[in-house]
Amino acid sequence: MHEFALEMMDITKVFPGVKALDKVNFNVKKGEVHALVGENGAGKSTLMKILDGVYSSYDGEIRINGEKVLLRDTNDAKKNGISLIFQEFNLIPSLSVAENIYLGRLESNKLGVLNWKRIKESAADLFQALGFNISADAIVENLSIAEKQMVEIAKALSINARIIIMDEPTAALTQSEILKLFKIIRELKCKGVTIIYISHRLEEIFEITDTTTVLRDGQIIDTVKTCNTSKAEIIEKMVGRSIDREFPVCQKEIGETILEVKDLIRKDVLKEINFNLRAGEILGISGLVGSGRTELARTIFGADAVDSGELKIKNKVVRIYSTLQGKKNSVALVPEDRKDQGLVVNFSVLLNMTICNLKKVTFKNLILNKRKEKLVCGEYIKKLGVKTPSMQQKCINLSGGNQQKIVLAKWLFADADILILDEPTRGIDVGAKFEIYLLMHEMVKTGKSIIMISSELPEVIGMSDRILVMSEGKVKGCFEKKDINPELIMKAAIG
Amino acid sequence: MIKSENIAGSMDRFFISKIRYIFQNYAVALVLIAIVILVSLYSHSFLTIQNFDNILKQISVIGILSCGMTLVIISGGIDLSVGSIVSLAGVIVINQVNTMGVLPAIIVTLGTGALLGAISGLILAKIKGRLGEAFIITFGMMSVIASLTMIYSGGIFQQGSGTGLFGKIGLGVAPVIIFIVIIVITQFLLTNTPLGRVIYFLGGNIEATSMSGINVSFYRVMVFTLNGITAAAAAIVLTSRVGAASPAAGTGYELDAIAAVVVGGVSLSGGRGSMINTVLGVVVMGVLGNALNIMNISSYPQNIIKGIIIILAVGIDIWNKNRQWKV
Ligand SMILES: Nc1ncnc2c1ncn2[C@@H]1O[C@H](COP(=O)(O)OP(=O)(O)OP(=O)(O)O)[C@@H](O)[C@H]1O
Ligand SMILES: [Mg+2]
Repeated sequence: MHEFALEMMDITKVFPGVKALDKVNFNVKKGEVHALVGENGAGKSTLMKILDGVYSSYDGEIRINGEKVLLRDTNDAKKNGISLIFQEFNLIPSLSVAENIYLGRLESNKLGVLNWKRIKESAADLFQALGFNISADAIVENLSIAEKQMVEIAKALSINARIIIMDEPTAALTQSEILKLFKIIRELKCKGVTIIYISHRLEEIFEITDTTTVLRDGQIIDTVKTCNTSKAEIIEKMVGRSIDREFPVCQKEIGETILEVKDLIRKDVLKEINFNLRAGEILGISGLVGSGRTELARTIFGADAVDSGELKIKNKVVRIYSTLQGKKNSVALVPEDRKDQGLVVNFSVLLNMTICNLKKVTFKNLILNKRKEKLVCGEYIKKLGVKTPSMQQKCINLSGGNQQKIVLAKWLFADADILILDEPTRGIDVGAKFEIYLLMHEMVKTGKSIIMISSELPEVIGMSDRILVMSEGKVKGCFEKKDINPELIMKAAIG
Repeated sequence: MIKSENIAGSMDRFFISKIRYIFQNYAVALVLIAIVILVSLYSHSFLTIQNFDNILKQISVIGILSCGMTLVIISGGIDLSVGSIVSLAGVIVINQVNTMGVLPAIIVTLGTGALLGAISGLILAKIKGRLGEAFIITFGMMSVIASLTMIYSGGIFQQGSGTGLFGKIGLGVAPVIIFIVIIVITQFLLTNTPLGRVIYFLGGNIEATSMSGINVSFYRVMVFTLNGITAAAAAIVLTSRVGAASPAAGTGYELDAIAAVVVGGVSLSGGRGSMINTVLGVVVMGVLGNALNIMNISSYPQNIIKGIIIILAVGIDIWNKNRQWKV
């Protein structure tokens, strides 16, 4: 029997203005969990999309079980037993969960009539087996980003694939779902399925993978046994330098209360929320998927209407009933769903960058100052280290992490006093994460405040001055920096 | 071996993609050239200055209408009510010119157009409707406005009182100049103002636009208001040229305008296109209509040909969009 399930030889892929992959040799042994890591824009997703037949034009050769294969489209990939969980979801928003999972291979009887009952049942069974709590009837556009991620996972697993590629499957998940996913991965491995696992969370790499391959600027740097390496070593290979600390330290002063939330209620989702935020503070919000964190953020920003309750900003009672009102009251929200809410992905980096604060790039609010727009865009590209061949590049052509940086940048440019970040580092590499943490500190040092929602416990703990824990639409606890410990937070989150 | 094969393959693909690019972006211009060559071989009266002048005058009214429609379509909407606005605005302007004088009449007429557009926009914004809802709502508005026109005019042809100042608007090159001025204003608005920028964003992704702290309802109402104004402007030019107004004058104009915009290459799904597309589309449809007339093709086969062209244009647009996903 052949040792390798997959061999990719001398793969080169060029996009206009970018050499995404440069003679990549990537081999995966049968039945192993193989980690693929690298900075944002290193070429991980591109390499995997080639394998899934998304990109049909490339140079090089692919072998599966030692046999040369041609992967011209997704059907070819499926026939060869390859299944990909997309980083940027590939679901159809207006269809139900069950339809999305079985799309393209809906079973019908001789008359061509679909057996909906069967389809729904098998989707429901699938979720049951995975331990995910999602209804097969739910319409995808009503799902949260974490739920969409779970549907993607279910979809990929529903094909009995021999090679499963997971492109940042955990970026939008919280701890409990991640544990479920790991259980699934271990079961699959027992059945001899080969798994390629991409993640920016290095702890996961050490927990679940056997081998690790590091990709940098489209080239393979090294492939090692995961148990023979260390986090620091991987980071150094990824970014080309060592990072000694995960979170920067920050000397700052916390001032007066800037935002007060009193008895905030939104029917069925938020139940009497009370908290305050002080100038110069980073307030972390932790909780499980569906605990109401995102809904709280949207309500404060004005994207959703409140049913009752009071908001006070700088000691003034305000009514925020639209996102424009939110912006006028100096509240900004970086949404979790970058593809549908954060960006117009078909537009260029330049256009997306200035949309939140067009006023600032006009002559007298009337006419756009295009030169200034470009200056601003260039400045933020540099500040956040966005990897793009030009400002004119459409956002959809950027790597996931680089898209996330644009979402952050556009709201940084809006220059709000209260910045709400919903999973700000989703899909961002270690090096860039550190840069974003530094930016956050820079902001709070000037007296601005940040509310940071994050499913990554170490991040919330490392960055926050105070942590609010939410569960089922209620605030279940508030911890000062000195009292924070992971067990306490987990306990409060479970309720 | 494998290498060279692949390189040859990618060269092929390179040329194919180049040809596709030309085809996509200049398809309409190519069609235009083809029509001109074919018809001028057929008829000597086609390629004459007089006919050229004729075409320009014929396209001005639909052209002005198309300018506003471009804004609506780029913002991800559609407006079927503009034809009926042309009819109503026509009877209003001719009556008001008779009673209150030229300038006030024009202002009242433009105001009426703005108001009617704003109503469509407001309903659409309130129900947070997309393209499908826009079709239905403005279809309803079309019926309401057409009936209002009948009531207001008593269903009869409205005669103007001689020529006077009002008659000059539709005379000679004036309509063409008005058309060009509106093109320039619209293009400037689209590319150089915050309003124009937001119009593109509305069509690109309305949810993301709203999450950028932008009052999308306000801008949607604005777009439809502007469209109502251009429809009224088209009515004024038309009425002045004819010197009278029929309560059914604008019937079917909405389709001509939408056709011109879409044939020119403005995407029906929103977020893409500019006035250059629209002008090209207006000229192509105008030249085509004129050519068919010169060849003595009667109006039913003409409409079949126009219908096929519109369907093709939408087909190409969808094909382009789907292709984006595949590299
Ligand atoms: N369709 C495309 N058109 C043009 N350039 C592209 C396209 N897809 C990817 N690229 C470029 O190729 C490079 C590699 O992108 P890729 O998505 O593979 O990165 P990645 O390693 O998955 O990064 P991330 O961790 O941010 O997801 C990037 O510079 C990106 O901008
Ligand atoms: Mg990626």
